Amino acid sequence: MENLNLEIITLITGVILVLIGIWGLLTQKNLIKIVIGFTLFDTGIHIIMVSIGYVKNRTAPIIDQSVNINDVGNSVVDPVPQALVLTAIVIGLGVTALMLTYVLKMYQKRKSLEINNYNDLKW
Amino acid sequence: MVGPIYIIAIALGTAFSLGFFKKANSNFSFAFMLFAMAFMTFISGQWLYAFLTQQQETIQIFTAGFKPPFSISLQMGLHESVFLSLINIIGLLAAIYLYDQFREKGVQMMMVFVLLFMGLNVVIMTRDIFNLFVFLEIASIATAGLIILDKSINATSAGFKYIIATAIISGILLIGIIAIYYFAGSLFINDIIKLNLIYVKGGAVAVFLVLIAIILELKPFPANGWALDVYEAAHPGIGAIISAASASAGIFVLAKILPIVGDSGYYIIGLIGIITFLGSNLLGLKQDKANRLLGYSSIGQIGLLLTIIGLTPYLGDKTLFIAFGVLISHALAKAGLFWLAGIVNSEYIKGWAAIRRNPLLLVLMGTFIFALVGFPPFPSFFAKWELIMQLANNDKIIWLALILIGSFIEGIYLFRWFGYAIKEKNEDLPEFPIKLNKVIPVSIVAAGLYLIGYYTGLAIPEAAIINYIPLLFIVIIFALDFLPAYVKNSISIIGLAYYSYTIIPAYFENDMLRFIFVVIFLVGGILTFIAGYAYKGKRRGFYPVALIMYVGLVQIIQAENLLQFFFGWELMTAGSYFLIIRGKKSMAHALSYMLFSMGGAYLILAGFALAQQGQMSLSLDVLSSLSNNVFIIISLLMIGFLTKTATLGLHIWLPGAHGEAESDVSPMVSAILLKAGVFGLIILLTSTIKNIETVSIVYILGWLGAITALIGNLGAAFQEDAKRLLAYSSIGQLGYIVFGLAMMTHLGWLTAFTYTINHFMYKAILFLTIGAVVLRVGTHNMYEMGGLIKKMPFAFIAVLIGIIALAGVPPLSGFTGKWLLYNAVILKGWYFQGAIAFFAGIIAFLYLFKLISSIFLGQLKDNHRNVKEISIWFIIPIYILIIGLMIFAAKPELILQPMGDIIAQYFPDGRLNWDGGLATTPIGNWHGTHIMIIIGVMFMLLLTWLVVLSRKAQKVKQFNIVYSGERPFTPETTHISYNIFAGYNKALGFLVMPWITNFWNFMSDIIHDTAGFVRRIYSGNGQTYLAHIIIYIVVVYFVFFN
Repeated sequence: MENLNLEIITLITGVILVLIGIWGLLTQKNLIKIVIGFTLFDTGIHIIMVSIGYVKNRTAPIIDQSVNINDVGNSVVDPVPQALVLTAIVIGLGVTALMLTYVLKMYQKRKSLEINNYNDLKW
Repeated sequence: MVGPIYIIAIALGTAFSLGFFKKANSNFSFAFMLFAMAFMTFISGQWLYAFLTQQQETIQIFTAGFKPPFSISLQMGLHESVFLSLINIIGLLAAIYLYDQFREKGVQMMMVFVLLFMGLNVVIMTRDIFNLFVFLEIASIATAGLIILDKSINATSAGFKYIIATAIISGILLIGIIAIYYFAGSLFINDIIKLNLIYVKGGAVAVFLVLIAIILELKPFPANGWALDVYEAAHPGIGAIISAASASAGIFVLAKILPIVGDSGYYIIGLIGIITFLGSNLLGLKQDKANRLLGYSSIGQIGLLLTIIGLTPYLGDKTLFIAFGVLISHALAKAGLFWLAGIVNSEYIKGWAAIRRNPLLLVLMGTFIFALVGFPPFPSFFAKWELIMQLANNDKIIWLALILIGSFIEGIYLFRWFGYAIKEKNEDLPEFPIKLNKVIPVSIVAAGLYLIGYYTGLAIPEAAIINYIPLLFIVIIFALDFLPAYVKNSISIIGLAYYSYTIIPAYFENDMLRFIFVVIFLVGGILTFIAGYAYKGKRRGFYPVALIMYVGLVQIIQAENLLQFFFGWELMTAGSYFLIIRGKKSMAHALSYMLFSMGGAYLILAGFALAQQGQMSLSLDVLSSLSNNVFIIISLLMIGFLTKTATLGLHIWLPGAHGEAESDVSPMVSAILLKAGVFGLIILLTSTIKNIETVSIVYILGWLGAITALIGNLGAAFQEDAKRLLAYSSIGQLGYIVFGLAMMTHLGWLTAFTYTINHFMYKAILFLTIGAVVLRVGTHNMYEMGGLIKKMPFAFIAVLIGIIALAGVPPLSGFTGKWLLYNAVILKGWYFQGAIAFFAGIIAFLYLFKLISSIFLGQLKDNHRNVKEISIWFIIPIYILIIGLMIFAAKPELILQPMGDIIAQYFPDGRLNWDGGLATTPIGNWHGTHIMIIIGVMFMLLLTWLVVLSRKAQKVKQFNIVYSGERPFTPETTHISYNIFAGYNKALGFLVMPWITNFWNFMSDIIHDTAGFVRRIYSGNGQTYLAHIIIYIVVVYFVFFN
């Protein structure tokens, strides 16, 4: 159990979430559930991002009481992935909102949330 | 100069301020947005100009005052400025085009629209890989935002598929980017490149994820169902943006991240590209919906671009030129076609027949189709040429073949579609409104294609010498299309006459061989144009396309290098295609002509490419110094040329194409056009005369020629349609020419030349006369004519002379050809082939007799009692040709003697000995003038005797007849010529069963059925499309890390 430190656990959690998300995207027939699959997938990626920036025994890259002002470089984790993850979350939010808008419009027009009912375009 | 950062500032500022305009006048908002787009275009254009003319150096822009990796950096270089200008111009035009949609949907749409283009601009400029992700996402969210504004359920569900697919793809991109950051410690692309992550354990996977995500954004086959649905359902204005602007940006992104992948990426990209190019075009074959077809074609073109990028190691410094040529043609043509789709507003491609109600739109459509397929003078033509040449130089023969096959398949559906637009019935189709704001963007991109094509051509030294002045003349004729036909006819004749005046004398002095052909092309052109005076009205579109064909033909003659030759060849093909499709029932025939021509042209292209391999030159002389792959090169070129001479197996396009053409077009495409193939064969054979491989090839060619002569003539004998009879006769005559050339002896070639000149004259005479008769009687069917001798004596005499010449009966020049042929055959020792050719000659009598007897002899039909003599405008060229024919018959030595000198350069042995007018071979002699006189005297004697005998004959009116004591009540039906050769048909008909047509139909069915089967992978279900993406990633992963 020595190897199972925090970053590995978060990384594995992230990967599992990504896989569950993909599984949901591929197997769920309900449009809402598909969107939920996407959010799981997206969240998994965010967790992977955070885990990659983590350095053992360091704190969040926010300069407050827990950070030694003279040794910032060695006391906080890599700030870049943390900044990136914020952007990624915002984008994910935007995409999710747009997806839900689509679901809403589709439901309004055909009164169905089954993805199999939207196969008119093909070949 | 305005900094590139202002592009982003303006776009963002505009998008935000548009939010305040909600209540304001939407016209004002639109103008505001348009101004922003124009300014963005201006900035990128300004940089492009600076890079092109002022040696501007690439600049880096660091945001936030830090250098990377601590800030996001943008780069503006030549390549960036090219792509930005292209994308922004398309954006500006798209904004104008979408005016009505903007009015209807309001500022929301404008905001999303501007943001989309901001996203694409930043995607081009950024050098930060995470920034790249963010703006790719902005662009795809904005695209989905534009799609959702469409009210239809199909657009909505397609948009949903689009957004879940792109969400998955960008998720994978994000994982890749963060992994790259993990290994590289930087997001700055320039830093990442230096690290060669592909060799770092784990780093390779990170790079792969980024690469595959970018590739998936480019919609590779078959993981692209989501994109096809969007192309089909979204508003065509949006489709244009996705196809032209977004795809261009995607290609640029791929090129940008490629250095991170390193050289190992090329192969996989090339593979993905060619599979996409072939697969997408193949499935396009079964598509009958216009927008979806455009989707298939778009994806195919992007596949070609991927292939080109993947082949970078072999294309070297030509890569950029090639990629640019293909991309610009694709972007402009596809945007134009999507926009046209929005104007025509027809779901199915057959419905595009409505487009020809507006000639301008039809011309625009034609421009785009020809640009996509890669015809001159568009950029794609030159790009494709360079591509094929470079591939051959690097021995990438399989790639070369696959690219040509893909292009050919694309040509099939594009030309089928274009054929529908020109010829399908359009009476019942709904009207569509034509708005100026929609037509202007389409016209601008079309003009751009011509302009950029011209400049692209100048970039290749071998193409820079092409004479564009005749093409300019055609543009002028085209601009004068509103004038009545006779004015344009006169201008065209003057143009051709001046053209002849400037080039023919030099050929007469220096190059008798080319002189013969240039005279056939240009003098033939003038003569056939004279017949054009018979047509009333405006005859829209006829003159430009006819002139395109003639200019192409002359450029083939003038060509000093392979590229010029191919340029002329393609020009000629394009022009003749338009001429042929003008016939009333010519849609299918023109398509078949085009497909055979395109296939032939690609074989020629491949042959040229292999021929110049390793020779460091494109001069036509390379053909005479072949060293590698000689057999293949000669075969490729030969088959290519034989498509134009309609030799057996490649002939099935001809009867319909010539038979259904207009009366003065038939001689153009028969008497004149076919000689291009003969000229090609002559160039090929004179160049490769020393190659040992030629011997075996010409042996096969000889058999082919002889059998073609037989089958062509037999086919002619069983026709009921006069023009088809003449068309089949052309196949037979060209068979003789090919046969003559194949003998590779002095006499054989002299025979071929004699037949070439003869066929030009008598086929022009016959087609002009029969065409003129058809114009009078309104039918092609011979059994619906008869007894026209008294109504049209001039036509009768012309046909009589034509068939005497064609039959090879003394004293006319056909006999010259036949006499030479038999001498050549006997001296060559080709007895079997000669016997077939001889037998074919006898069959010629059958159809020629049928031609004259059933049209001019027998009973006059009731409905023809009032027909008049054929038009004087036909009689003039016909009788000029008859005079020419007579001179050639009486004084053959005038042409054959200098011709012999030319041929002696290649075949010095076995010459024809001339003693004045007396020609002698080892086995006989003949004197043209004497024969003419002897036959003339005999004819006069017989005629006199006949007149004397029939002095007391009683003149009988038509219905004053009694059959075996029985008086027929409807004597006009006693026409014997219908199915006149039924007996021969029983005996020999099996030879002319449509075996070959069936073979080609079978091939076509197989390809179409395959396409119909494979395209079922696009089930329409969004989840299936996601599964495709996931499977695709896994498969490519294993190929990549093989």
